[in-house]
Amino acid sequence: MSLILKNVSVTSEKDGVILDDISFEFKPGRIYILIGRTTSGKTSLMRAIAGLLPIDSGQITMNGEDFDEKPIWERDVAVVYQQFINYPNKTVLENVEFPLFRKGMSKTEAREAALVSISKVGLSDYLDRKPAQLSGGQQQRVALARSLSRKSHIMLLDEPLMNLDYKLREQLRVEFKEIFNSQKDAVTIYATTEPPEALILGAEILVMHEGRIIQYGSPTEVYEKPQSTTVARVITDPPMSILPVSISNGEIRFGDGYAQPIPAKMKNFKEGRYQVGIRANDIEIAKSGGEKGTISLVEVSGSETLVYVDTPSGEIVLQMEGIHDVKVGESISIELPGNRLFLFETTGALCVSPDSAGE
Amino acid sequence: MYKVLKATFITIWSLFVLFPIMWAVTTSFKPESAVVNGATFIPFLEFQPSLIGWKAILPGPDSITNLFTPTLNSLIVTAGATAISLIFGSLAAYGLSRFTYGWKNYSNADIIFFFVSQRIMPPVVLAIPFFLLLKQLKLLDTHLGLILVLTSGLMPIVVWLMVDFFNALPREIDEMAMLEGCNPIQAFFRTILPLSKPGLTVAGMFCVIFGWNDIFFALTLTATKVLTLPVAVIALNGTVTPYWILAASTVFSIIPLVGLAFVIERFLSRGSLGGAVR
Amino acid sequence: MKKGYPRFFLLPGLILLIAIIIFPLLFTIRVTFSSWNVSQTGLNFIGGANWAEMVRDTRYWGSLLRLFYLSFLTVAIQYALGFAIALFAWKGIAARRFFRVLWLIPMMTTPSLMAIIWRSIFTEDIGALNGLLSRVGLDPVNWLTESGPANVAITIAEVWQWTPFMFLILLAGLLSLPKEPFMAAAIDGASAWKTFARVTFPMMAPISIGAIMIRLIDASKIFDSVFTMTRGGPGNATETPAAYIFQRSLQDFQIAYGSTLALTYLILAIVTLTIIGKVFARLSKPRGI
Repeated sequence: MSLILKNVSVTSEKDGVILDDISFEFKPGRIYILIGRTTSGKTSLMRAIAGLLPIDSGQITMNGEDFDEKPIWERDVAVVYQQFINYPNKTVLENVEFPLFRKGMSKTEAREAALVSISKVGLSDYLDRKPAQLSGGQQQRVALARSLSRKSHIMLLDEPLMNLDYKLREQLRVEFKEIFNSQKDAVTIYATTEPPEALILGAEILVMHEGRIIQYGSPTEVYEKPQSTTVARVITDPPMSILPVSISNGEIRFGDGYAQPIPAKMKNFKEGRYQVGIRANDIEIAKSGGEKGTISLVEVSGSETLVYVDTPSGEIVLQMEGIHDVKVGESISIELPGNRLFLFETTGALCVSPDSAGE
Repeated sequence: MYKVLKATFITIWSLFVLFPIMWAVTTSFKPESAVVNGATFIPFLEFQPSLIGWKAILPGPDSITNLFTPTLNSLIVTAGATAISLIFGSLAAYGLSRFTYGWKNYSNADIIFFFVSQRIMPPVVLAIPFFLLLKQLKLLDTHLGLILVLTSGLMPIVVWLMVDFFNALPREIDEMAMLEGCNPIQAFFRTILPLSKPGLTVAGMFCVIFGWNDIFFALTLTATKVLTLPVAVIALNGTVTPYWILAASTVFSIIPLVGLAFVIERFLSRGSLGGAVR
Repeated sequence: MKKGYPRFFLLPGLILLIAIIIFPLLFTIRVTFSSWNVSQTGLNFIGGANWAEMVRDTRYWGSLLRLFYLSFLTVAIQYALGFAIALFAWKGIAARRFFRVLWLIPMMTTPSLMAIIWRSIFTEDIGALNGLLSRVGLDPVNWLTESGPANVAITIAEVWQWTPFMFLILLAGLLSLPKEPFMAAAIDGASAWKTFARVTFPMMAPISIGAIMIRLIDASKIFDSVFTMTRGGPGNATETPAAYIFQRSLQDFQIAYGSTLALTYLILAIVTLTIIGKVFARLSKPRGI
């Protein structure tokens, strides 16, 4: 019952490589999260699975059947789009019944199944409304109900919460998790650009970049051990600060000569150039000493303050709890606790992660 | 100052628009003396209205011509040409909107241009071969013959309007229908077509106007049996028919489409035209 | 996409159009090399004789030149008037519904039949216009019996008929313009004229071009008003190519020669309109519109 992709590639004249030799096996009963920047290929991968994007090479099979033989309407794939797609001229009930009639259900069967899905998403009071009369969140729920009622074996959700407001997103994320965990025989693939969403929802996370899957694993694995600086940047929010350093004489040297003693985990590494990474919430303001820099940007977001600091080694982002009165242009000293540092090769590959027992 | 300018302009233009129509209507009710001795304008003040013009064209003892059969012919021919153009044209427009056709070096844009550029074709260029062709096929002076020829001029309009219209309907709707089990044909008929009413109405309106008002093809390709209304009235114009009869015939012929103007205006005020005409 | 589905949509219409247009066109081309006329029907071959005769046909070239002037003049007037009315109607007028219906009417009338009415208006002795002129003490004009006034008469009829069309398209365009630039102009204290010249007109450029092209294409075929109002007269003063070709080919039944004229007419129309289209396209680009 698996969805298997083998060496799937898609190129276009206009945009270059869209999908680059993708091979993966999606197993039923689990939620897979695709995370990556906007052009990383998440939507293209989903469209290729759905049949909306023709593939140039490779093979997609579901349950052993080659999708190449099957046009879109025979593939049993359900999609929830970012833009709340519903049939504008049908009521909520008619919208959800529509795919069921297409499957060949009788009027009564279809109605029953539709009503079940509609109640699952909490819209039982809105059966006769047209989509234009519903709020954004409700419209998306109709789309969701429609996809659920089909009981397809492949469920694709392409950033479905992106166009909703913050509070609604939080609420629906929780609901999604409950709903999808009960879909035991379907492959569920969910695309997002937001690390928190990925970490909350996913059973397995696939990190995509430039049309390739650059890492996959459980949320903990990917979060604690990003295999490369690219992954590290994608999976952290706010993005991890990555600085070029050199290791010599038992010290880590930063750009302007500022040096720290080398942490225990990194002692065994040869001298030379590396990159060091640190998460924004691990950085602290130094009470004495520390790397010096100037504040270039301050963002207050929610109940945190993000401070962007220009240092001789590069730009650092630190996250402070609460709202602080720091100003652009001020000097600031920051501390980069050695036990919270990641070490990467200059190529970007991971050497040491602070959360696990060394490489 | 601006308001004065505006009011003057609008008044002058409205008078200009009204003038020929009022002239036609009043003339249709004039007795011979009110025409032949120089222009008269205001009924009851300058002349006594008379029904001789109207009596001449409506059935009755003083009738000199039958305008009802031509009216019927116009209806049949216009309806037929509009229907065919709308059907074939919309299907083609949908295809051009959703699919990429590529034969050799011709892209979608080229194909659309081919359709739309048919409007440039002066009727006279087609009328000559059609005359000969229909004569061979014995389709001269038939409804079918005229309908087919009119379609050549109406389909481009439909394609032009509907391609833009379909492009504005989100692709995701037909994609969704296909994902849910519809093949492209079913997706079109069940989901896109119901949403196309505004576009089809505007396209249909243009078809009706251009089809009804055509005289070129009607003149060359019909003789007696399928005479359309405009041609019938022009025939009256050709012989030395007095103006009061001509005026009455013209007013009679114009009524259907002017009636359509009221319908269209109501449609416009719902704002539908703005979207369809970009 | 999958196999035959795209074809199902496009082919019926495309094939129908090709059948209706291409075959007659090919036939026309062939016929120009024959001498098909009233006394001798059938496709013989006489080489380029028709073409040679066409080159010497001053009446034909005169009609083409006349059409050129006429179409440009009428479209220019329709554009200016249509835009003006659209501008006035844009900001709202009293009795909006009444005016909208009224202004829509000319477009909905049958051009050839209205031409009959215009004939009755322009007729020298008992026509309405001369009647009005004499009542205000002015001399009557020989509208239909002198070349200049006859062309003016045709122009008036065309302007009356088609300005509403321009008005409709331009008004729809004005209504679809974003409000922000106008608010900015108002804040900057721009006068009505300046706002028009610097904001409204440039933003309307694509729509203006579209409307003008559509009307030019239709104007290149002027026939109805000429045929019914003046029969091309007085003499040939108002004759357009369509009217001339109609007479030669379908009344005098000189099929072969008429086809030659018709084909040339078509080619010239396509070439001219394409050039104009490209000029417009280039004009609208550099200004960054």
